[in-house]
Amino acid sequence: MTKADVVSKLQDVFDNVFVEDVKVTEELSANDVTEWDSLSHITLIVAVEKAFKVRFGMGEVEAANNVGGLADLILKKLQA
Amino acid sequence: MSVSPISDYQALKALLASKSESFWQELAKRTAQSRQFYDFSFLSTLRRKAIARDFLPSSGNVRKSKLALLGGCTLFPLSELISHALYMQDNHCEIWSGDYDNYVWEMTDESSDLRSFRPDFVFLLPPASRYKYSGKLSDSKESVLDELTKNCASILELCRRAHEGTGAEVILCNFILPSYFDPGEIRTRVMASEWNSLKWLNMEIGLTAPPYVHICDLEFLAARKGGLEARDDKAWFESKQPFSADFAVDVAREVAHIIRSVRNPAKKVLIVDLDETLWGGIIGDDGLNGIELGDTSARGECFKEFQRVIKELSDRGVILSVCSKNDMHNAVAPFEKHPEMVLRKDDFASFQANWDPKPDNILQIASELNLGMDSFVLIDDNPAEIDIVSQFAPAVTGLWLGTDPSDYIRCLRDSRLFETRSITQEDANRASQYKQDENRKGLLLNAESMEAYLESLKMQAHINDFQSVDVPRVAQLINKSNQFNLTTKRRSEAEVASLVDSDYVCYSLRLQDRFGDLGLVSIIIAKKEKTDLIIDTWLMSCRVLKRQVEHLCMNELFSRARSLNCNTVKGFYIPSAKNQMVKDFFPTMGFTQVKTSDEFTEYETRTGEFKEFDTKISVLRGPNDKG
Repeated sequence: MTKADVVSKLQDVFDNVFVEDVKVTEELSANDVTEWDSLSHITLIVAVEKAFKVRFGMGEVEAANNVGGLADLILKKLQA
Repeated sequence: MSVSPISDYQALKALLASKSESFWQELAKRTAQSRQFYDFSFLSTLRRKAIARDFLPSSGNVRKSKLALLGGCTLFPLSELISHALYMQDNHCEIWSGDYDNYVWEMTDESSDLRSFRPDFVFLLPPASRYKYSGKLSDSKESVLDELTKNCASILELCRRAHEGTGAEVILCNFILPSYFDPGEIRTRVMASEWNSLKWLNMEIGLTAPPYVHICDLEFLAARKGGLEARDDKAWFESKQPFSADFAVDVAREVAHIIRSVRNPAKKVLIVDLDETLWGGIIGDDGLNGIELGDTSARGECFKEFQRVIKELSDRGVILSVCSKNDMHNAVAPFEKHPEMVLRKDDFASFQANWDPKPDNILQIASELNLGMDSFVLIDDNPAEIDIVSQFAPAVTGLWLGTDPSDYIRCLRDSRLFETRSITQEDANRASQYKQDENRKGLLLNAESMEAYLESLKMQAHINDFQSVDVPRVAQLINKSNQFNLTTKRRSEAEVASLVDSDYVCYSLRLQDRFGDLGLVSIIIAKKEKTDLIIDTWLMSCRVLKRQVEHLCMNELFSRARSLNCNTVKGFYIPSAKNQMVKDFFPTMGFTQVKTSDEFTEYETRTGEFKEFDTKISVLRGPNDKG
């Protein structure tokens, strides 16, 4: 799976989590999405874990600043 | 089992995009089945997307209520899950969540936001860390109970203050038991262990809570799911989540169930089918010695145990009734004579055994018991019966038991329809207020709607001359069918085989509908003698009664009579101990009686006078058909 594949699959996850339409790009971050607050973030991360069948460690997701960072983290988990 | 969260929602999204009314039905159905966090929260997102587009369900009875959530943990996304579960049961709930771990102040202070919110329900999730026993494992039982009694009282005091301050009903969570091995089996031997002390505390809460407190039994729910599955340490440390994501769905569903059950009384009447429901087999065909019931076979044991479960419901105050397609004398025989029956006839307040549609019989039960049909539950092994009842008596809750009798108990005991809320059963008498008029309103059955119903079944029939491969099944039906059997002529397999490719007219009919394949359901054998076509055998499975199968078979017979240049079709009714139901078959089919005696009655119709019956069954011809 390439980073572009991950981002494209993340688009589906975002569509399933947020009510507003969000265009997912590597640069996208929580600041760009009104609904993406600390609460909906919980739902988003569980959904990402389920969609990619990965499990993030403590603090790992917080270290990712934007979708690109999250995609890198997912790829790292998938290769592990 | 992993379902891709991507493709799985396309159909729902398409319904949403076109604002189709079936979006809401489909969403409700999916929500009712959903047990996983990611699925449940995606469904919730779809609901919120619809609402954001002003696309609302056109449901009649919407309730609005207010729910306050309080506890020593993060209450999101639990609040979102509860909100979705309630919305999908037509309760458009406004939810207010208290601040993190601020519940004591919120529940006791008169100036708190909880008071000004004026909730209908207050949900409290107290943290175990504050209420579990605080001492050492070696402490005495007395000191443990002393502390826990006080802890229980302080939790219930918070509930009382919140109830008196707001008038709300309180939903109180008890405690999940620990699931780590530590400290070993000593956990069972001393009261001071976390395991024993929390169990005791849960019991004390349940036994002493006043009626306005409803227990959200986390101990039970976690035991049902598995203790390790209920918690998630990472989620606790990262964001103070009290549960694993999936267990939060279980809790949300439970809260929604409690809120619904506070306002809707439990069901009062359980209507049971007989054949393949209370015993295995068909009493009318298999007879008293042929049905499966009791400890001699695994299936028989399932049915017997299922009867015990029903008996237990009856002991708890549920009224039992029978609604079965059977002749009365066949239907009552096991109750009176079968030694393995747990249920007896006087366990039933109403007993309907006949060949009328079940919605008619349920109306009869409603009028006999003078109870509203919305308190009725029908259990049946036949999905078509559940379907016809849901169409014509929609107030009745239909519960399809499935195809395997070992699943019946779970199906009934997990239905949540007969949960007892109090031992006193205060509202037991309220039932008599129901009027019969209301019952009639719920019943839509008439000739016109029956046609529509049959049409909705999308029935397809295969009519085939006897084939060699069918011989065993045909012989089995010929030798087993008793009720819808005009002449009850038995034939061995060899005799049936000799009919294949003979000059007899002999064909079978297979039926399928949108619920599935019903198999080979009817057999007709006739013989041409000069210019007469004489019906030798006519039988049909009672499973397809009132489905127009006999009409289709009759159309077929006359079409064959014409092609054989027969000008008359003759039929006989030979009475047996079990075939009274077809006594008037030929007259209702338009035949004229020619002669009658004790042994048989003879009927006939001129081929030219026969008028083809309209049916809602489409006919597919078999590959080797000669007719």
